Amino acid sequence: MATLTKYPTEPLKCWNKAKELRLKYYKDYAECKQRGGIRWSGGAWAMDAIPAGLGDDVYTLTSEPYAASVAFDPKLNAECQSAADAKGWSRDLCSYMRTYWGSMYVNKYAFGGEFPKPDFAFQTQICCSHHKWYQHVAEYKQIPYFTIDVSVGLYKDVDEGRIAYVVNQMQESIPWLEKVTGRKFDDEKFIAAVNNECRTTSLWAEVCTLNKAVPAPLEEKTMYALYVLATLSKHSKEFGDFYEELRDEVKDRIARGIAAVSTERCRLITDTQPPWSYLSMYRYMEKYGAVSVGSLYTFALEGVFADQPDGSWGPRPTPEQLGIKIRTREEALRIYADWNLSKPEWQHFYDPQIKTDIMLRMVKEFKLNGVILHLNRGCEGLSKGIMENRLGLVKAGVPVMTYEGNMGDEKEMDYPRTLSRIDSFMESLGFNKLEN
Amino acid sequence: MAALEKFEHWYHNRHEYAREWKKRTGGKVIGTFCTYVPDEILTAAGMLHSRILGSHEPQDVTEPHIFGMFCPFCRDSLAQGLKGRFNYLDGIVLAHSCIHYRQTFDSWRAHIPTEFTYYLPMPNMVQSPSAKSYYVGEVAKFKAALEEYAGKKITDADLDRGIELTNKNRRLLHKIYEFRKTDPPKLTGTEALYIATTAQFVDYEEHNKALEEASEEVADRTVDRDPGIRLMAVGSENDDVEFFKMVESVGATVVIDEQCAGTRYFWNEARIQPDRLQTISDRYVERPPCPTKDYPERQRFPHVLQLAKDYKAQGAIIMQEKFCDPHEGDNPVLKKYLEDNGIPTLGLEFDSTNPLGPFRIRVEAFLETLRTDDLF
Amino acid sequence: MITAGIDVGAKTIKVVLLDGGKILAKTSVLAGFETEQSVEEAYKEALAKAGIERSAVGKVGATGAGRKAVAFAQTVVTEVSADAQGAVFLHPSARTVIDVGAEEGRGIKTNADGKVVDFAVNEKCAAGAGAFTESMARALEVTLAQFGDISLKSNKSIPMNAQCTVFAESEVVSLIHSNTSKEDIARAVHDAIASRISAMVRRVGLEQDVILVGGVAYNIGFLDSIKRTLGIENVVVPQDPEYVGALGAAVVAGAAGN
Repeated sequence: MATLTKYPTEPLKCWNKAKELRLKYYKDYAECKQRGGIRWSGGAWAMDAIPAGLGDDVYTLTSEPYAASVAFDPKLNAECQSAADAKGWSRDLCSYMRTYWGSMYVNKYAFGGEFPKPDFAFQTQICCSHHKWYQHVAEYKQIPYFTIDVSVGLYKDVDEGRIAYVVNQMQESIPWLEKVTGRKFDDEKFIAAVNNECRTTSLWAEVCTLNKAVPAPLEEKTMYALYVLATLSKHSKEFGDFYEELRDEVKDRIARGIAAVSTERCRLITDTQPPWSYLSMYRYMEKYGAVSVGSLYTFALEGVFADQPDGSWGPRPTPEQLGIKIRTREEALRIYADWNLSKPEWQHFYDPQIKTDIMLRMVKEFKLNGVILHLNRGCEGLSKGIMENRLGLVKAGVPVMTYEGNMGDEKEMDYPRTLSRIDSFMESLGFNKLEN
Repeated sequence: MAALEKFEHWYHNRHEYAREWKKRTGGKVIGTFCTYVPDEILTAAGMLHSRILGSHEPQDVTEPHIFGMFCPFCRDSLAQGLKGRFNYLDGIVLAHSCIHYRQTFDSWRAHIPTEFTYYLPMPNMVQSPSAKSYYVGEVAKFKAALEEYAGKKITDADLDRGIELTNKNRRLLHKIYEFRKTDPPKLTGTEALYIATTAQFVDYEEHNKALEEASEEVADRTVDRDPGIRLMAVGSENDDVEFFKMVESVGATVVIDEQCAGTRYFWNEARIQPDRLQTISDRYVERPPCPTKDYPERQRFPHVLQLAKDYKAQGAIIMQEKFCDPHEGDNPVLKKYLEDNGIPTLGLEFDSTNPLGPFRIRVEAFLETLRTDDLF
Repeated sequence: MITAGIDVGAKTIKVVLLDGGKILAKTSVLAGFETEQSVEEAYKEALAKAGIERSAVGKVGATGAGRKAVAFAQTVVTEVSADAQGAVFLHPSARTVIDVGAEEGRGIKTNADGKVVDFAVNEKCAAGAGAFTESMARALEVTLAQFGDISLKSNKSIPMNAQCTVFAESEVVSLIHSNTSKEDIARAVHDAIASRISAMVRRVGLEQDVILVGGVAYNIGFLDSIKRTLGIENVVVPQDPEYVGALGAAVVAGAAGN
């Protein structure tokens, strides 16, 4: 019989700070109008450094993390989902979008009070649902709407024409923003925001890369509470500072051999957004000593990665780290477009093979035993090509488990059967449940 | 064979047609994914455009490739490839549009050996002032890739021929669609579906010739069936003749459509400009949009309403491919828009095989409500 | 050594007593509300049938959704592993196991040792399982046994969608109204469900020999359809296909700790 190593573990020191920052973000959005501020809503992939050029009192509500927050309150979420049903929206549409619309219809904000009306909608479009989302918000709330189409193909194939299309649209957005807000656009602030966004998203990638360590200093359920900051506001200096603090703490945990899960013996990754009402699934996996050390989703929804000099996968160096000083709006827009187009989580929209390759790389570099794919009925964007990813992983000899669920609609999940599927998967990997 | 029957014959024998065309001309056949592929360029290159469509049969071969919550059309289409029914294709090209169909292309190029594969970026935000300059560049690259593949330059004269043949096809389709405006309509929805769908995979010269002949035939026609209620078909990809046949057997005629196997494919002509590639690429940016590309403004809705008015539709069936997110993102708002403008609607969710029984009941009930309106 | 395998399913509890390579007894009782009591009842019945004392059983293995109710089991495995073990025990060259039970359909890829290589289970939907056939037989007013038999008499292929049981039922009703024969409808239903199961099997990859287990394996109409949809001539149906899970649990119990 193998003896089980028990690693030391301890809670994350900066955990509470992450929670506070998140709550403050939602509160600021609700209250900023009293202080004369501007607020807008858009997706978690919106180019949020651009409206930052309008001033320091500009606040955002990013819709996917907001809907995920609603999903944590099953009663409110059910109310929102029914409200979307009542308006005739199909059940299989993006469940975040349905929840967000529902929250708007029932006029309830998950963080208290009425649903705060945004001054304008500012969106990007890579998934078919993105533009429909705010097209409807704009028509329902009678607010101006601008969207930038960033679906120009694989980053490796991006050329002058493709980047120009994205840059041109961003250029066009600036006079539009000035017009709808009556404010003057400040290039200095915009340039600073671009630098901050590169820093924040690169730092998050660095934190994720640290999870290659055995035992893993972080596990995915915890990471959900950390990565979310970048989905709220990528260009925030405050969030960047937090990630720096987090990185240092994680490095310290590795140096001291601190594990996220003391009984780690099986390392996994997942894929796509989790079913938010059933995160206890991750605790169930721990009964087998199985730890999800992350996912392409948690890592690269916002994290920006690149090949490292040693050939491994890690954070993309920021323009500042490369000694590039951004001087003009044009330079900033170009760098900003290029940075975002290189996002790993954007590549499978054009070719599933790229994502399979990244996952295989993760299997190797993060020393994984297997992969669990969430066939997420709530998100067509991140589910795109997922069966080809499965096929690619299986062909390469990686054990894969799939389960169907929905990130934002708990009706679509069969939880007991999912757990029994985990039992079968663990059994096939050769792991038994641990005695307490 | 009467000219009209030709379309039906092509519709049911599309693979035989393509094989025969290839044998006869020695040309390349290129499978097109989505109606945003500029057929002008393929025609200019002397190649046959051959739109990939499904077969409306249940299938179980795509399960390992496409997750079940994506639209049945994208899976049905892939099944045709996996089953080898398109094994005569020399190449495939996808114009960037919806996520669902992109998966068909992804799996096709990964698993079905094909000489030439091309991913053609096409702006989704066609309303952006930057869309045209972007797309003309992509169309130029596509042209170059075809030239390299064929080992032959596409000359200006070739492009002119491509533009002329496709524009002529659009004009002729408009002309024959005019016969749907008459009362009673001289052309049924089923016939129109055969005609419009086949334009997407039959050599334009042949299709144009058949259209010219068919127009004459139809002009001389006397209609002996009771046309019943005049209906419009609105929605996602639909080339399901069985459904139209059923609708037209229970007291209705489909007089116009707004779907990509019909008017969305051919509605606008390419405006002739000094730059030939701009002529071609602008045509796709300017065409009646698929919901995937209709934002920030909803420009599709007034177009749908205009069609309904022009063809005097008394009601509209909103046909939606199950799981089609772009259409699902339009339909509740479109339904209200049409109803506010006096066009009653019936929403139906479609699957690759349309169970006609349950649908017949719905269509009949809808027609009853329209007839009741007449009584008061 | 004599080992016992107990499969605690949603509807029935099945027990297999195994002595090396020989099956001593098989029993099945309906699962009551008090699962532990029903397990006890089934186990006692099996022991009596085999004519052995409880103490003669060296090891007990449990499987099935209610496997935790077998408090006295030394080994506990999921239905997926039990199916694979049981199938390979009965038919050593089995590489793909298809298990279609009342509420769940499974496709399992196994190696020669009965170890699970990959598996797929139907999602939150009854369309790929036995319950679907039952409701369709009801709509046609025939017994399950007749349903299978008459289906073989048809040689017509009517496309039908088994995406949703309710929708399929109304489709059957409209086929009845349009005077389609019971035989043709029965075949259409079997083809539809077989197509769903085949899709799942293709997901794990089809490798011969294919063995069909679970209660639905008795349905000869389904068997005919699954051969057709998989495009293979030979699908092995073992004797007493519904006991394969219990048998697998007994096999695992015997192998454990050796």
